[in-house]
Amino acid sequence: MEPQLSWYLALSAILFTIGTVGVIIKRNVIAMFMCIELMLNAVNLTFIAFSSFFQDVTGQLFVFIVMTVAAAEAAVGLGIIITIFRNRESLDVDDASILKL
Amino acid sequence: MITTLLFILFAGMAIGCAIAMVSQSNPLYSAISLIGVFIALASLYVMLAAPFIAAVQVIVYAGAIMVLVIFVIMLLNVEHVEPRRKRLKWLVPVAVAMAAVLIAETAFILYSVQTSQANLRASGSEVGLTYSIGVNLFTTYLLPFEITSILLLMAIVGAMSLARRATILSPVARVVPGSQVLAMDLVNPGSTSDLPAVEADTTAEVRRLMGVDMPSDVQKDD
Repeated sequence: MEPQLSWYLALSAILFTIGTVGVIIKRNVIAMFMCIELMLNAVNLTFIAFSSFFQDVTGQLFVFIVMTVAAAEAAVGLGIIITIFRNRESLDVDDASILKL
Repeated sequence: MITTLLFILFAGMAIGCAIAMVSQSNPLYSAISLIGVFIALASLYVMLAAPFIAAVQVIVYAGAIMVLVIFVIMLLNVEHVEPRRKRLKWLVPVAVAMAAVLIAETAFILYSVQTSQANLRASGSEVGLTYSIGVNLFTTYLLPFEITSILLLMAIVGAMSLARRATILSPVARVVPGSQVLAMDLVNPGSTSDLPAVEADTTAEVRRLMGVDMPSDVQKDD
């Protein structure tokens, strides 16, 4: 039996859920960032699965754009993390609570 | 049959590395597990007849973004996570329970709808080749391509301006080289002049223009 489209979609949903759980659980801000990258990759898998099963190249082009945006977001996000760490000496997200009411 | 086995192998590797990434406390182990997820996903992309995207995934994600993340982890010298504070103890079981509910919902939907008539036609498919992606990228999707290039330029400028270091010129003044106009009043509070501005490109130039002597033990990088 060939791998069906639903199998790929189920795998993507599972990876996305694991990424979401990681963003909620993790306290280290770099680990949260890596879980966000996992969520982006799960969506990429959905796009490419649909593009392959319906023989349309639009999905793969969108994945290309998503990868570019993820690379730009990685650069700027890590710059922000470094700046916060310089002022604060702690990578714990719970410590960044100055704006809390 | 072989494709099914390969799918199960790569999918199991992806899910296993993802769970390992989420459950590790050392961020460096999490980063290496995430690289394992990317390699498994690239293999799945090859099975889905998308060789160009698979190569771009390995080069960009595993080769550039994760290297950057590992640089930052080693630069900041992250220690192990301290023991969890009391008020967050209930978050972990609730998150795992809600994730199980989400996966159960997904499984229910996937097994109760009709399977689509679309079949995977990996052999002889011309959709994922570099040629077709290139043609579409430069004809139909030219506008997103150009906007993406501007986005990358913005990311470069943003990362550079974030990583710039500010030096302390005197106890009441800071200089960010090249981007700040510094008022004389900030350095010399007793001056009666009408706030003439000092504009320079480097901290050394500002120091020379204002005649500020910097004792070497006060100067520190921030």
